[in-house]
Amino acid sequence: MLVSAAALVLASGAFTAYTWLTFRAAMVEQLSVQARIIAFNSASALLFNDPVSAQKTLGALGASPSIVDAAIYDNGGGVFARYWRGRKSLIKAFPQISKSQTEAHWYTHGELSLARRIEPQGKPLGVVLIRCELGELTTRLEGYAAITAAVLAACLGAAVLISAGVHRSVSVPVIRLAETARLVSRDKNYSLRAAATGSRDELDFLIQSFNGMLEEIQQRDASLQKAHDELERRVEERTGLLHAANKELEAFSYSVSHDLRAPLRHISGFSKILAEENRDQLNADGRHYLARIEEGARNMGRLVDDLLSMGRISRQEVVRRPADLNLLWQEAWERLQPEFEGRKIEWRIGALPAAECDPGLIKLVFTNLLSNAVKYTRRRECAVIEAGQITVDGEDVIFVRDNGAGFDQKYAHKLFGVFQRLHREEDFEGAGVGLATVQRIIHKHGGRIWAEGKVECGAAFFFTLVPRKPSRPKPANSVSS
Amino acid sequence: MTRSTFPFRSLLGISAVLVLSISAVLAHASSPNEYDVKAAYLYNFGLFVQWPAAPEPDAAFTICVFGVDPFGKVLDRTLAGQSIGSQSTIPRRISNPQDALGCRILFVSSSEENNVKQFLSSLGKTAVLTVSDMPQFLDRGGMIQFMVVNNRVRFEVNLAAARRAGLTLSSQLVKLAVTVETSLPPEK
Repeated sequence: MLVSAAALVLASGAFTAYTWLTFRAAMVEQLSVQARIIAFNSASALLFNDPVSAQKTLGALGASPSIVDAAIYDNGGGVFARYWRGRKSLIKAFPQISKSQTEAHWYTHGELSLARRIEPQGKPLGVVLIRCELGELTTRLEGYAAITAAVLAACLGAAVLISAGVHRSVSVPVIRLAETARLVSRDKNYSLRAAATGSRDELDFLIQSFNGMLEEIQQRDASLQKAHDELERRVEERTGLLHAANKELEAFSYSVSHDLRAPLRHISGFSKILAEENRDQLNADGRHYLARIEEGARNMGRLVDDLLSMGRISRQEVVRRPADLNLLWQEAWERLQPEFEGRKIEWRIGALPAAECDPGLIKLVFTNLLSNAVKYTRRRECAVIEAGQITVDGEDVIFVRDNGAGFDQKYAHKLFGVFQRLHREEDFEGAGVGLATVQRIIHKHGGRIWAEGKVECGAAFFFTLVPRKPSRPKPANSVSS
Repeated sequence: MTRSTFPFRSLLGISAVLVLSISAVLAHASSPNEYDVKAAYLYNFGLFVQWPAAPEPDAAFTICVFGVDPFGKVLDRTLAGQSIGSQSTIPRRISNPQDALGCRILFVSSSEENNVKQFLSSLGKTAVLTVSDMPQFLDRGGMIQFMVVNNRVRFEVNLAAARRAGLTLSSQLVKLAVTVETSLPPEK
């Protein structure tokens, strides 16, 4: 707007100035021609000293109404002849023309004066001076200025109207659209909408597309949120169900184990009485059967005890306090000493760390792992049992390793299941509850446990006591483009 | 009178600047003489008259005085260093009518008044501008005749006489003439 106004003003100014300059140049040219004619026609008059003739020559200027007065000077500077219109001529001074020029002009008080040397064939005879008023120039310039001003005003008016129209129909909606986009991006509020222009143009199409995009985003957001909520709800529901089922299962297994004890006591009690009081009435087979019954009852009692113990551990809260793992290992070792008395075992026990843990439970872990190691190395001439601490990926890992019967690595996942056994009862007795208990304790501490083994080459158990630290973010699966 | 002296003085000045020292100009300017003016006019006529093509273009432009010379050194001073077109002007005094053939402008002195008519007719159609200040010069076949009006040197012209000699007088010159004769004097 300002630019176009400036451009218009400049153009008008330039036009007026150009007109003024060309018109002045034309005036000068016209006057110059007249001066030449006068100079030519008055040369002889000057040469033959005939002012009357010169006067007549000057009188011809009467045809030009803008010429105010004129004069011919001789070389001495005196006025040789003169002409004037209306008021008496005001010409007095002899006009000065610089030596290099034959003609000069100048402006004074709205008048243009032009002086020209009279020098036929290069012989200076005098000077002719003509003055004309610039009234015509002024009048014409005023006319031009008026027209220019009118055109300028009209153009500016039109420009203002157009600009206002453009502003209303383009600038304002674009600014509003940009503001909406800014708010949306700043507040992540996709419920905002850009105001429509109401006209059916590209801008309106743009705004509607923008709004459509926001609508789409909002809908996707909503459905995503809905799916998320649904998932959350279902997870919660399932967790609750699982929890309840778990509790129920624990209660069930506890009560079953508990209730199994009474009939078991009967079986074991009465089979003992039978063995003592009716021993003589039984033949060898009968005594053998009875012995099997007693053994079965004993096994079942141990099983029930283990189950009850595991159930207890499951319900028990972990109470962490600082503990020396070396000491816990030592206590477990001493407690199991009767089991490996007389056997040849090479102990390789490294330094174990101090840790925040439930000492009673961890002692139970060591007891179970040590018991297993002793049990499965029973057939070794020279058993080797190791324990210690290693660091794997920055994590403190405690291990117990033996050179016993080992296991097939492909069944490793079954090791920690309740009643899951990889060896026959005849080879190595056990209920299949020990490792399950160990796993529960480790999990309750937030740690992990895993095993490595090979048939007849020994087994190794590893565990940690604290949750794994969030590992350094792995380089994201790069989507190569 | 004061006004009339200006062109005279200026004309003298021009020649003086070219020929003489400034003091000499001023000395002459202070006492304007009728023949000073006439000498200048003789030269000026050359500027406004057209002669038929000269047989020798490079020859000097000769201004002659026939009879008793009324100019004296004035004419020499006036013409010295001047030129008309590309020809430099030189003065020449002649006493023999035959010598007039080499002249462009011929001033006939009043001393020849008695036989001027015969002299002029002897020139025939020779391209010579004849000038004199004797009375009835035009009536006797002359082309330009000086006269003094209101103490000012003026002149009359006879266009017919000039035309007969093949000369063309510029309108710029003719317009200054006091009277313009357009017919030849009757042959007697």
